[in-house]
Amino acid sequence: MSAPALDRATDRAPGGATGGTTPGPGTSAARRRARTAGWSLVAAVLLVLLTGTALGTGQVRMTVWEALRALAGSGDPGNVLVVQEFRAPRVVSALIAGAGLAVAGSMLQRLFRNPLASPDTIGVTGGASFGAVLMLATGASQELIPLAALGGGLLAALLLGGFAWRSRMAVTRLVLVGLAVQQGLAAAVNLMIVRFPAELASSAMQWTTGSLYGRNWDEVWIGGSAVALTSVAVVLGQRRVAVLDLGDDSAGGLGLDPRRDRVLLLLLSIALASLAAALTGPVAFVALAVPHLVRLLAGPPTLGTLGLTALTGSLLLLASDLLVLHVIPVHGLPVGAVTATLGAPWLLVLMIRQGRLPRRTS
Amino acid sequence: MTPDLTTAAEAAPTGTAGAAGADRSANRLAAHGLGLGYGNRTVVDGLDLELPGNAVTAIVGPNACGKSTLLRGLVRLLDPAAGSVTLDGSDIHRMPARTLAKRMGLLPQQPVTPEAVTVEALVRLGRFPHQRMLTPWSRADQAAVEDALTRTGMDGLRDQHVDRLSGGQRQRAWIALALAQDTDLLLLDEPTTFLDLRHQLDVLDLVSDLHAQAGRTVVMVLHDLGQAARYADHLVVLKDGRLAAAGAPGDILTAELVESVFQVACQVVPDPETGTPLVVPRARSRRAAAPAAPAAPVGPER
Repeated sequence: MSAPALDRATDRAPGGATGGTTPGPGTSAARRRARTAGWSLVAAVLLVLLTGTALGTGQVRMTVWEALRALAGSGDPGNVLVVQEFRAPRVVSALIAGAGLAVAGSMLQRLFRNPLASPDTIGVTGGASFGAVLMLATGASQELIPLAALGGGLLAALLLGGFAWRSRMAVTRLVLVGLAVQQGLAAAVNLMIVRFPAELASSAMQWTTGSLYGRNWDEVWIGGSAVALTSVAVVLGQRRVAVLDLGDDSAGGLGLDPRRDRVLLLLLSIALASLAAALTGPVAFVALAVPHLVRLLAGPPTLGTLGLTALTGSLLLLASDLLVLHVIPVHGLPVGAVTATLGAPWLLVLMIRQGRLPRRTS
Repeated sequence: MTPDLTTAAEAAPTGTAGAAGADRSANRLAAHGLGLGYGNRTVVDGLDLELPGNAVTAIVGPNACGKSTLLRGLVRLLDPAAGSVTLDGSDIHRMPARTLAKRMGLLPQQPVTPEAVTVEALVRLGRFPHQRMLTPWSRADQAAVEDALTRTGMDGLRDQHVDRLSGGQRQRAWIALALAQDTDLLLLDEPTTFLDLRHQLDVLDLVSDLHAQAGRTVVMVLHDLGQAARYADHLVVLKDGRLAAAGAPGDILTAELVESVFQVACQVVPDPETGTPLVVPRARSRRAAAPAAPAAPVGPER
C-alpha cells in the first residue's frame, strides 16, 4: 500500500540465492478475495439454475422456476409430487456428494502436499464401496450403509498407511500404493456382486462406478447429515491446516503436534470422502479435478476458497448427472462413467503440468 | 503466565553471562543430561546446559556437531532420548503444547512458505497459540500483528506474496510471524543462512533490537564465529554433541578453543569495530602443523 515498490528496490538481495521479486499490483490479497467471492457467486447462481433444470427435466417437463417452486411445495400438485418424491432425492444427493468429494479432495491435496492426491487415487472411495457392498451382502438395513462406507474408507486408509509408511509417505509411492488399494478393493466389490443374487446385484452395481440412480429421501437425510457434520469439523480444522502448511517444524513451534494433527485431519478428510461416496458410489475424478479448477479460478486453497470448492463440486456432479439422464442416449449409464471420461484427460494434463507446479519440501 | 516455582535442584544462578543489568533469572532454558538423536543415532549426548534469561545466546560449532539438533530439542521438536529440558524450572515436555508455544517462538532453518500467502496472512498465523477454536480474531491479535510488522519493517509489504520476496525480506516476514506469537523467548535456527552479508547483518541487527527493545530472550544457532561474538551475550560451543565451552564470548573464545573444536589454527584478536573476539585463521603455510580435520559425514546439516 505505502510504496512497496520503493522498499523492494532497496531491499532486493544482489545475487541472493532467491529470485528477484516479481512486481505486481499492491493489494493482491484483496483482489484474490474479490475474485473468490465473484466466482462463488457465479457458481451459486449456476447451481440454482442447474438444480431447477435438473428438477424440471424428464417425462413431466416444467420450467426452472416451476421446478424450484415445486421443490418448495407450491404450484401444481402433480409437479410437486414428481419433483419432491422422484427427482429431488437424486438431485440433492448429487449436490451433497459433489460438495463432499470436492472438499475432501482439496483437503487431501493440501495435507499430502501432492496435487495428485484424491479419494480416488488413494483408494478411499474404493474402500467406501467395499464397505457398502459388504453391508448389502449381509442384508443389513440401508441406514447402516454410510457407516459401512466410512469403515471401508478408513480400512483403505489403513492399508495405504501400512504400505506407504516405510517410505515416509513419499509422493510417488503413495499414489502407486493408493491405485493398487483402489483396484484391489474394486476387484473385491466386483467379486461380491458377481456372487450376489440377481435382485441385490442391480442395487449393488452403483458401487462399481458410482451412480445416482434410485436415491430416496431416507438415504439423503442420513448421508446428508453425516456429510454436513463432517464438513463442520473440516471448517473448524482450517486454522490447523493453515499452520500445517508452514511445515512440521513451524507447526510444532506454534503448538501443534504436526504428525498427530496431520493424521487427524487426514482421517477427517477420508471420512468426508467416504460419507459422500456412500450416497453415490465411487464417482471418479470429482475430488481430483475440482480443487485444480478452483486453483485456476481463485488461487491456492484457503478457508475462503472452501465454499467455492464445494459449489464447484456440486455443479460438476449435477451437470454430469444431467448429461447421463437427458443428453447421452444410453440407458442406465452411471454418472461415474461420465466423470471418468471427463476426468481421465484432465488427469493426463495434470501429470504433464506437474513438473511446473510449485514444489514444496517438508 | 506464572511460571512454576523453581525447584531446589536448579536454584544455582548461572552467572555465566558477562553483561550485568538485565534480570537473568527469568526465561531460563536449561538442559539436564540431555540426550537427543534420530532413531538409534545419537547426536547430542549427556548435555548439561543453562542459558541465561533475557540475553542473546548463540550456539556455535562445526558442521554436524548437533547445534540444530540441540535447538530442536530445546523447543520440543525432538523428544529427548535421555534427560530433560526445563524452562524456568518446569519440564517443557510436561507443559501443554499451546502453553509452551505462548512462551517460546521458533524460526526453523527451512520453513515452508505456503503458496501465494501474503506477508500479513503469514504473520497472522503466529497468533495460532493464542486462539481458541471458535474465538474470532481479536484486537489483541491484530495489535500483535501490527507490532510485529512494524518492528520488522514489513508494514509496507504486508500485501505482497511471501514467495515473491527477496531472501532478506522473506526472513523478516518469518521473524515477524515468530514475533506475533508474542513469546518471551525466540529461538532461531541459522537465521542468516542463504543471505548475503548485508542481509545477514540486517537480520542480526533486527534480532539484537528484539532483545534490546522488545525484551525478547534470544537463542540462535549461528555459523559465523565473529558474528556470534558480536551479537551474543552468551556463547555455547558444541563439539560432537557435547559442550566444549559456554560463557561470555570475551571469556571463552580463545585460539585454543577454536583449534580444538574446529581443528583450525587461528589467532583470536579484538574486533577492530566492537572489541569482541575475532577469529582469524592462520595462513595456510603456518597451518601445516595443525591436524587435518576428519572427513565430515555426508548429509544434511544437523
